[in-house]
Amino acid sequence: MRLFLLLFLAMAAWAEVPSGLAIRNAKVVTVSSGTLPKATVLIRDGLIEAVGPDLNVPADSWVIEGEGLTVYPGLVDALSTLGQDGPRQNAPSAATQPAPPARGPEDRPRTFSWERIADKLRATDPRVESARSQGFTSAATFPLAGIFAGQGAIMNLGDARPSRLIVLSPAGQYVSFVIGGGGGRGFPSSLMGVFAYIRQIYLDLDHYKQAKAAYDRDPKGRTRPEYDRALEGLAESPRLLFPAVSLGEIDRVTRFAKELNVPAVLFGLHEGYRAPEILKASGLPVLVSTKWPTRAPDADPEQVESARALETRAKAASTPGILAKNGIKFAFYSDGQSASDMLRGVKKAMQMGLPEADALRALTLAPAEIFGVADRMGSIEKGKIANLVVTRGDLLSDRPRIEYIIVDGIKYLPPPPPATPAAKESTR
Amino acid sequence: MKLLVFAVAALASAQESYLIRNATLHPVTGPEIAGGSLLIENGKISALGAKVQAPKGVKVINAKGLHAWPGMINCATQIGLSEVSSVRETNDTNEIGEFIPQVRAIVAVNPETEHILVTRANGITAALTLPAAIAIGGAPGQSIVRGQAAMLRLDGWTWEDLALSPSAGMLVRFPTIQTVTFGFPAGRTEIPYAEAKRRYEVEMRKIDEFFERSRRYQQAKKAATESFLPDMQFEAMLPLLEGKLPLLIAAQRERGIRDAVDFAEKHKVKLVLFDVRKPGTQLARLAQKKIPVIVGQPTDLPLDEDDAYDAAYSLPGELHKAGVKFAFATYDNQFARNLPFEAGYAVAYGLPMDAAWRALTIDAAEIFGVGAITGSLEPGKSADLFLTDGDPLEVRTQVKMMFIQGRNVSLENRQTRLYQKYLARP
Repeated sequence: MRLFLLLFLAMAAWAEVPSGLAIRNAKVVTVSSGTLPKATVLIRDGLIEAVGPDLNVPADSWVIEGEGLTVYPGLVDALSTLGQDGPRQNAPSAATQPAPPARGPEDRPRTFSWERIADKLRATDPRVESARSQGFTSAATFPLAGIFAGQGAIMNLGDARPSRLIVLSPAGQYVSFVIGGGGGRGFPSSLMGVFAYIRQIYLDLDHYKQAKAAYDRDPKGRTRPEYDRALEGLAESPRLLFPAVSLGEIDRVTRFAKELNVPAVLFGLHEGYRAPEILKASGLPVLVSTKWPTRAPDADPEQVESARALETRAKAASTPGILAKNGIKFAFYSDGQSASDMLRGVKKAMQMGLPEADALRALTLAPAEIFGVADRMGSIEKGKIANLVVTRGDLLSDRPRIEYIIVDGIKYLPPPPPATPAAKESTR
Repeated sequence: MKLLVFAVAALASAQESYLIRNATLHPVTGPEIAGGSLLIENGKISALGAKVQAPKGVKVINAKGLHAWPGMINCATQIGLSEVSSVRETNDTNEIGEFIPQVRAIVAVNPETEHILVTRANGITAALTLPAAIAIGGAPGQSIVRGQAAMLRLDGWTWEDLALSPSAGMLVRFPTIQTVTFGFPAGRTEIPYAEAKRRYEVEMRKIDEFFERSRRYQQAKKAATESFLPDMQFEAMLPLLEGKLPLLIAAQRERGIRDAVDFAEKHKVKLVLFDVRKPGTQLARLAQKKIPVIVGQPTDLPLDEDDAYDAAYSLPGELHKAGVKFAFATYDNQFARNLPFEAGYAVAYGLPMDAAWRALTIDAAEIFGVGAITGSLEPGKSADLFLTDGDPLEVRTQVKMMFIQGRNVSLENRQTRLYQKYLARP
């Protein structure tokens, strides 16, 4: 009964006020078709009803005077765990009892390909609100544990119940090359084993599809093929997310994706500055972690650091600029950072040569394109989902002033600004 | 009956006298003598030079075209304690207890080990055998003071025969700050620096406390009051505290070396460092304090990613240049015979040949307190030497003959037996 009441309240919050909203005479950065210096954005039923100069505002729409304001598409975190219980979930099925060690690929080791994160999202994650208050209106949220960790989703960062927030599910399969560690803990206990397993499961998938098709054509007199949830999960994955941080990994994974012949997206890319040719030739889109490598605060002071580590630390943030220059499609992701740290990382990339327009694109339209949802979000266009950030001044400046965040047509206010520097000074 | 014959033969050969003639003698402590002779009597070198009077009944060996060298010394092995490392019952290299200075490697040495024969085949006549493996840091719970190493002469019927020096040093697993460890089955594990430092300090306190308690025992024993009770553990520490025995500590890098030298100074004990790989700024200090060093294997990989490819090859040359006394070791049993080739790499990368020979022989002997007995061709020293057809650091050179304590020892070993066996296969 109480649950029902809560649901009812959540729905009530959604439909509380008439949905018409108009931002009048603001600067509109559409991302998809240039910047309109003075235009009006009309919002209704969670969608962008119209964009353009000199629009008539419907009589029932609530008007926001846009003089001095800039409207941007809402930002997108291209790979996160937002809406999930913890920042990093444990293997979903390992929670209750440890699985027996896998003997080979047939045991589908550390595979959760059929699990959908969309089914597990909770509205209680406090990180959603803090990301939203920084201007993020959507995020790709993925399970991270396992060789095949499961299906991710694109969600809007509103405060409605999760089922209302899902934009796309499944959005892709998260892959990680985790090694079991041997010592009786089962297959695969080496990186080579992990790759062999992934190859094998795709061979199995081919066979599975054919066997099923043959059976469906003519089931009489045939033994029905055994149902395999791991393969079902893979079959419905629209794309695979592969980790690739170093040059070697980027090279390896681009080849591997080509060999498997699956739609792939690489994530990590801290050494992407060394690999523009490889990435360009592969044509694969990439997600760049804004968690630039740093020296660990608790590192051994006498530890000898390799020149390679130092170089990556110095140059990693130049990767986005180099990707942009080479026309490689990329988006940014938070990699466990807070939204404000992520934006700090983006600004560092801008200092190291990434043009602002490309940075904005990598936070809005590019992730929408990479996940195949550019027809419904990622830019300010008629008919797209009304995910917007309204600022006074530039969004990607050092001190952005966010006035409103609009998610699914609902207006949110950012929390009041933190104590002023002067006040901070006095409490020191 | 047969046994008796053997025993008599062994006794006879121990007393046999030899005159090696027409050989190029390399005394190491003196200049080379071309076409020289060397007289072996009662197990010792009694004379050597261009002309040596041959007493009656002496067995003359015409060594024309051959070279005579003092036997080489491998300064870190576990010969006699471990036969096949993966066969548990052939290993006697682990003792229980954190502080076990009373453990003596020598009493556990198996004189029948195959490793002795194979190691001899390349000209090695002595080897230091360690009561436990050389370990950097190591896991908490393993012994810290691990017992006494022994210098073995590589010929004898019993461990007493083999004991060139039954106690040549006290092996200590010295704590280090270790943030990255490799274990099975966990693989590479990393802990924060602060935690690693805390663990290090916990262990350092333990070891400092143990040394202090040993000093207190020493003091109490000197006072010889009625209440004094002997204790085997502390008794074993006395030679170390009196400076008769060196402390043996493995320290690869600057920090480990600095800590070990500080520790030895603090507790006023002699020190020998093992497995030194990157002494860095500590190099000058080692020279100044006259702390001898057993270098890490020259054929090992460099420690860090950005080290020069020849970092390990050229370290012995650098030690020599800095004036640090050092010696070579293989840190294993099965490749202990490769000692001369390790030195060969060092010579190819900047170590003068005569310095390499000192390191292989007399310096190694002096480091472990047997310099007066062996390590060079000098009258009065034990006749531990071998004859070759060329430079022993060269792989193709053949060892033709070997004497240990004046006994003409066999160079036959498992490898040569297998070689002969399969050579004869129809």
